[in-house]
Parts: sequence; structure tokens; C-alpha cells
Amino acid sequence: METNEINAGIKAAQINNALGFFIMAFGVIVLFAMIFTETFVEHMTDMVAGLLLIAIGGGMIWKAKSNLKKYRKSKES
Amino acid sequence: MLSGIDYFIVIAYIVGMLLLGLYFKKFVNSSEDYFLGGKSLPFWAIGMSIVVSDIGALDFVGVSGQAYRYGISVGNFDWVGSVPAMLLAAFIFIPYFWRGGMYTIPEYLGRRYNQKVRTIASVTWIMFFALDLGVLFWASAVLLNVLMGWPIWISIISTAGVVGLYTYFGGITAVIMTDVVQFVIMFIGGFALVFLSLYEVGGWDSMVDKIATMGPEYRNHFDIIQPQDTKSPFPWTGILFGLTFVMANAYMIGNQSIVQRCLTAKNEWHAKASMIFGSALKMFIPILVLFPGLMAVVVHPGLADGDQALPLMIKSILPPGLVGLMFAAFFAGLMSSVDSLLNSTATLFTKDIYEPFIKKGASDKHYLKVGQITTLVLLIIGVATSPISSDFPGIYVAIQTFMSYFQGPIFSILLLGIFWKRTTEWGGLSALVIGIGFAIYLNVFKEQFFTIEDPFLYISWWSFLLGAIINVVVSLLTKKHSEEELQGLVFSSKILVKNKKL
Repeated sequence: METNEINAGIKAAQINNALGFFIMAFGVIVLFAMIFTETFVEHMTDMVAGLLLIAIGGGMIWKAKSNLKKYRKSKES
Repeated sequence: MLSGIDYFIVIAYIVGMLLLGLYFKKFVNSSEDYFLGGKSLPFWAIGMSIVVSDIGALDFVGVSGQAYRYGISVGNFDWVGSVPAMLLAAFIFIPYFWRGGMYTIPEYLGRRYNQKVRTIASVTWIMFFALDLGVLFWASAVLLNVLMGWPIWISIISTAGVVGLYTYFGGITAVIMTDVVQFVIMFIGGFALVFLSLYEVGGWDSMVDKIATMGPEYRNHFDIIQPQDTKSPFPWTGILFGLTFVMANAYMIGNQSIVQRCLTAKNEWHAKASMIFGSALKMFIPILVLFPGLMAVVVHPGLADGDQALPLMIKSILPPGLVGLMFAAFFAGLMSSVDSLLNSTATLFTKDIYEPFIKKGASDKHYLKVGQITTLVLLIIGVATSPISSDFPGIYVAIQTFMSYFQGPIFSILLLGIFWKRTTEWGGLSALVIGIGFAIYLNVFKEQFFTIEDPFLYISWWSFLLGAIINVVVSLLTKKHSEEELQGLVFSSKILVKNKKL
């Protein structure tokens, strides 16, 4: 892999990591907001929306971490 | 006013956006990083950014309001009014801008026609963006004032501070990546709203039955194609000629803030894919913004102002937590529009005005600094002019109408510039000047020419058509460009083939 390609990959992974953290944090807040809901439907809506945000954010962080590992390994070799 | 948890979410969102935007500072080392994100961004992020910058908070509220008043025909703006134009942009226009290594649309016009065309097009866009900034700052301040109870001036300065800081430091990378977060939150909140609204009205069939029994004014609410003599601003003739043929293409192909995003892609494939992915996402937008407006007809009948439909639906339907998230997404929509304007205007000024006319051949760091200083100056102009918007309630409409007038002529010279080799510099210049003048004339005397109240779709069509005719006639009478001058600037079937040199 070329150095430019590796640097671009590292940049993309760092960006995804930051975005994932931000989205996941909001998922946690929405999940926490479940305690303020009154009806079952509201309860479930907050839960699904919160879990979806956590899944998207978590997925982005996981992908970013594995890419960072891969690119750093290529940089060292 | 919002409840405690929702208030907390809006504050956390604003602070989080600032921190996230500032994080992108470390990726800005050159003017290319600042204006084009170092040409390293992936298609999915750009596609999402195109969609959210197109559907800002004001449009979100406005489209729902129009769905409340006129029904589903407003969905044309996101379906036939976007998707075909985005596909045309992806396969024909973006490759030319990409392979030409361009920063701005006027830069293409300058190479294809002459420097005068480039300067006129660039100055027109800069004027429009600068005027729009004040309006958006005022709209953000009013939203914060209503939701959080903050005084107007505190709201304006805090919005300007947050957006200004991350755009100043992070450039277009910060602009696009903060849009990605907004997109995810807007889609999740939007689908939750649609799901709960449908539950509230007893399902789709029940809603259709209820609206049908509400009176004759709701008779055409479910007709996507409206007759020519409709009272709504969306007659089929205007939708076909003004929107689909002109405004949609002009917006997706000739708008600096849209095209600049595609030019940040890591390669040509990603640049094209960003538009195609954006067009796929665009098809969901009417579901998110139009359906809540329609359902509000049943849940909140008889609203004097249709624009209240969406905020009311959010407050009455969504549970705590999602209310804050949706309003945060609204606010982020406004921030997204402001940051796009700031970065695009800085790019236009630096590349089309400063570099050719004020200081040629300076270092890259110098142009990066100019871009950042321009961002700051625009921020100050926006803050200073924002109270003017409150004195003229129709200014937002006037500015949007202004955009529809110059988009027709600009698109006509872009289209002929690429598809007709015979177009000359004088043809392009006269088409641009006369086309804009004609659009202004039609607007001033609109009562004499049109029967509908707001004929912006028709005006854009006629100014486009006149621009094209003038371009053809003047070009045939003037000296044509040589083959060498047109290299890489006019249509060739090679553009459809991957990475072929033009």
C-alpha cells in the first residue's frame, strides 16, 4: 500500500471514530430519556431510536478501530 | 419551551457539534484541505451531506407546511425535482469538473467562455450567499429564542460563534462531517415521527378517509400532478418545465455549495457515487417531511399558518428525548445551511476574485489564510445584517426567488457550454446578462404575464429559454473557439468511460 493511501485511510478512520462516538453518545441520551416517557408506545420508540443510534455509532467506531489497526500495521511494515 | 431532558439534548448537540467541528482542524494544512477536504472524502458522507444541505430546517418546516396546505404535490421537489438532475450531474457534469481539477462552477465557465462570465457568475453567487447568511442567522436565533428562551442577540452570537469556529478551523471537512451526524439523527427522528403519526391517525387508509371528508379544499390533496389552473404554486406545467428541466438541474449542477461537496471526493468514482447515493436518499425525504404535514391535517385541523404543522406534530406526537433530538436536528439544519454558505462563499471569493484580480501567484498558505479571513468577515456581515431580516418578513422568500432568477440563465450557459462546441464567449456573456435581466423584468411585471401568485417556476423556465436562444444566436454570429481551447471542456463520449483522459 502507498503512503498516501495509508494516510488517507488513517484520516478516514479517525473521522469515522469521532462521528461514531458522537452518534453513540446521543443514542445513550435517547435511551436514558425512556424514563421520562408515559405510554408503552413512547417507551418503545425511544428504546428503538436509542438502540439504533448506538448500533450505528458503535458500528462506526468498531470499523474505524479495525481500519486504524490495519493501516498502522501497513505503515510499520 | 422544551422540557428538561429535551433542553439538555439541544445544548449537548450544540456543544458536541462545536467540539466535533474543531476536531477536524487537524486535517487542514493547505487551501485544498480547506476548500476541497484534501480530496479524500468518501461518497456516503458526501451523499448524506448533499441531502441535508438541500433540505435545511427552513425547508423542512416549509415543505411540511405546503403538504398541509396543498397535499402531496410538493413531493415533486424531491422526486422529479431532484433525482433525474442528480443522475445527470453524476454521469455528465461532475466528471468534467473533477477531471478539470476545478474548485468552483464559475471557474469552469471562465475556462469555457471568458473571465467576465466567471466573474459575473461568481459575484452573483457571492451576493446571494452573503444576503442569505443574515436571514439564516435570524432564523436560528428565533428558533433558539422560542425553544430555549434565550434573548435574540445571545442566540445570534452563540450560533455565529459555534458555526464560525468550526467552519473557520475545519473547512469543508467539518461542514460535511457535521452534516453526516445531522443526517443520521434527522432520519431516525423523522421515521419515528412518521411511525407515531400514522399510529395516531389510525393508519394510512384512515387518514385518507378523514381528509377526504374534510371539505372541497382537500379534494386534490392526494394528487401528485396538479392541473394547470390549480391555485397551488405547483401546476404540472411549472413542475415539468420550470422545476424538472431548469431549477432542479440548475440547483444540482450549477450550485456551488452542492457541486463543491462532490469535488471533495477521494476519486472520480466516489465523486459520481456521492450524487447517485444522494439521489437514492433523496427519495425518502418526502416521506419524512411531507407525511407529517399531511397527518397534521387530521391531528391539528384548521391551522392558520401551515408552517406550524411540523413543530406542532413534533411536540404533540414524539416522546421526551426524541423531541429534543428533532429540534436539535432542526437547529443543526440551520447550522448546516450557514456553514455551507460560509465555506462556499469563501471558496468563490478566494478562487474567482482574490486569486485572479488581487494577488496572483501567492503561496498556498496565503490563500488558505484568505479563505479563513473571508469566512470571518462573512460571519460578521451575517451577524450585522441579521436584524434587517426581522424588519422585512418577506425577505427569505425574496432571496429564494432571487436565486430562481439567476439559476435559469446560468444553467443555460452551463448546458450549452458542455453540449455545443459552437458556443462562444460572447454568446455565453450575453446570455447570462440578458437572461438575468429578463428574469428580473418578468418578476417586476409578473401580474401582467402570469395568473398564479408566485410564478418562480415559470420565470426560471422562460429566462432559461431566452438565455439559450441568445447564446445560440450570438454564438453563430461571433468567432468560434479552437479545438485546443475546448479540450476537456465540451462533451465527449469518453466522459462515460472510467478515467479516460479527455
